[in-house]
Amino acid sequence: MAGNEITITIDGRNVAVDPSLTIVEACATAGIKIPTLCYLKNVSQNASCGVCVVEVEGAKSLVRSCVQKPTPGMVIKTFSPRVIRARRTAVELLLANHPTDCLSCIRSGTCELRQLADTLGVKADRYPKYKKFSPPDNSSEGIVRDDSKCILCGRCVAVCAETQTVHAIAFTSRGARTRVGTFMDRGLAQSSCVQCGQCSVVCPTAAIAEKDESREVFGALGDPALTVVVQTAPAIRASLGEALGLPPGSLVTGQMVAALRRLGFTRVFDTQFTADLTIMEEGSELLERLQKGGTLPMITSCSPGWINFIEAFYPDLLGHLSTCKSPQQMFGSVAKTYYAQKAGIAPDTMRVVSIMPCTAKKYEARRPEMDAAWDWWKEHDADRVPPRPFYDVDWALTTRELARMIRMAGIDIASLQEEDFDDPLGRSTGAATIFGTTGGVMEAALRTVYEIVEQKPLASLEFTQVRGLESIKTAEVPVGGIKVRVAVAHGLSNARVLLDEIRAGRSPYHFIEIMSCPGGCIGGGGQPVLADLERKQARNQALYREDQRLAIRKSHENPAVEALYREFLGKPLGHLSHELLHTSYRPRPF
Amino acid sequence: MPRITGNGTTEGLEAIVEANRGKPGDLLTILEQAQQQDPRKYLSESTLRYISTQLQVPLSRVYSVATFYSFFSLKPQGSHVIVVCRGTACHTRGSLALLNEALARLGIREFREEEENAVTSPDSFATVRTVACFGQCALAPVIMIDGKVMSRMTVGKLVAILEKLRKGGGV
Repeated sequence: MAGNEITITIDGRNVAVDPSLTIVEACATAGIKIPTLCYLKNVSQNASCGVCVVEVEGAKSLVRSCVQKPTPGMVIKTFSPRVIRARRTAVELLLANHPTDCLSCIRSGTCELRQLADTLGVKADRYPKYKKFSPPDNSSEGIVRDDSKCILCGRCVAVCAETQTVHAIAFTSRGARTRVGTFMDRGLAQSSCVQCGQCSVVCPTAAIAEKDESREVFGALGDPALTVVVQTAPAIRASLGEALGLPPGSLVTGQMVAALRRLGFTRVFDTQFTADLTIMEEGSELLERLQKGGTLPMITSCSPGWINFIEAFYPDLLGHLSTCKSPQQMFGSVAKTYYAQKAGIAPDTMRVVSIMPCTAKKYEARRPEMDAAWDWWKEHDADRVPPRPFYDVDWALTTRELARMIRMAGIDIASLQEEDFDDPLGRSTGAATIFGTTGGVMEAALRTVYEIVEQKPLASLEFTQVRGLESIKTAEVPVGGIKVRVAVAHGLSNARVLLDEIRAGRSPYHFIEIMSCPGGCIGGGGQPVLADLERKQARNQALYREDQRLAIRKSHENPAVEALYREFLGKPLGHLSHELLHTSYRPRPF
Repeated sequence: MPRITGNGTTEGLEAIVEANRGKPGDLLTILEQAQQQDPRKYLSESTLRYISTQLQVPLSRVYSVATFYSFFSLKPQGSHVIVVCRGTACHTRGSLALLNEALARLGIREFREEEENAVTSPDSFATVRTVACFGQCALAPVIMIDGKVMSRMTVGKLVAILEKLRKGGGV
């Protein structure tokens, strides 16, 4: 926009700004940070909270800088006494009915409202409390909504309706009775909610948060009768450091392993092991569909928010989904069968904890069909397992919950020496690492499918067309005489574009990767809150750095996966694979 | 997908939806007519679901609109509807006394005004609801009974009207 700039005066300084920006953005380019609350870049802009007001010369009243654009010669004061007083009053009114249990609040350290109150020097309790709230909505496995902490900023409504097109929540009632609620106030479990948790990432307070299960995990770790193993999703190594105060994009793989060992996990394994396994199964499934005329395009099935979405909104397209379980669930099945048997652990004394960037993973772990290991033992050695089924994965914790556990245990992640994952389920490749970002599963699959079909190594492993944070990415890759056309979407509004094409019968693709969250798992609903584009870029880059650094970068070259097939599973898509690694889907009316 | 189980007939709803589909403000008009055609003058869950599916408007948004306007009722209403204005002018001219008198005369024990805007008597004889303003502040206090707006209301006049309604008369 250079050349188009206009000159305005901000706090007595003449500044050239881009007139297409809003005042708050223009001030940011001039180095002035105006506090905001309901406004969140790329998410919501509804001018409801009144925190971002500025004084504009000649204007009758204060101006909301999140929506107003600058005009030539505009004279703006961003911190006059009048401005500060108005901002303070706005926050005091928001605090009027807000609980004061900050000390024990799940967002204690990351609450924007509290930070604002601090910045503005707000006096507590200036207004009497009058509102009564319904008890928190605990109905879903992944997410808790606590009305009493809601300040009606509308970010969650915007991200749910616009970014994700799920529309699980909306403003209900009016005036002083306004609330954020689900249809008929039935709670999230009965709504169209896919539990992606994007609302919990954008919420400035603790009105929407993950269902915290760290206590249960601490309990299991303290029980000497149990063997507790942990798996870590690819994206965690690029965000755990950030959650613990290190710069965004810090890669803490080795320190994370060390911290998990200190927390008391018997074995520290890697979901990346089963990400490689996923590629073996999913790659074979794709080839089979291509060769035998199966349903195409085939769509990836790693992202449980996405699975919930297609089951609710596009049940007619379920046949397009790969039948592969997600890496988290494959891990649970393999750990409680293959590994338990190998290590001589009684399966019912084994607990599998996963560290996930995701709130929907909590729901996925509790799907009733996710008890493949129990079924397997029933068939092979029924005396070893209790009559009642157990889950393959016992608890799925988010990045935020793990960060809380590490803090609680007094572990300083930055000072830890790097340690290695345990064998065999801790072995993985660079292909598995990039699962954690949009385009990664596709790239990993292409690396393997190409080499298996062509029987020769790829000249370059980098499929740059499917990298980056653009909404939809496409590529055409010649494999075994066909041009395989692929597409990658992240964020459910983008997924809809590709799904509508399939419905209309004009989808040109063979293979599609869909991730529920913007950016893929690096932007997941269980990740450190308030991730802007820059933070997501940094996490994204960290994963590609890790990929580059690793000796093995193709899933089919993972020696531990090879051994798993040799010793246990047989071959991809074999009988045992179908029992343990594949699943089915069903429509989810709401 | 939605089953129509309320008292509203599917045929009636279908006609309402078809007559308004695609017009500006269709959702609001359809909700209004759907409530009017229901014998108990309310929007049942199945009605809301039907409208959501037909217009392809998300359930949460239909619910959002239906709970925003105090005209809409999500619970069955009584045979008569008494609307008490609780705006500032009417409040200063005694609308709280009118509200309490109506509630007491109809045998309604509890009404949490901060949390709800309507309540129906146990015998379904009448629904009492509150609104923010009729725009008739000069004639405060104002109430509306079965669609008829009455100004400068007093407790005495209200009691007389309620007795008349009880005996089967109109307003």
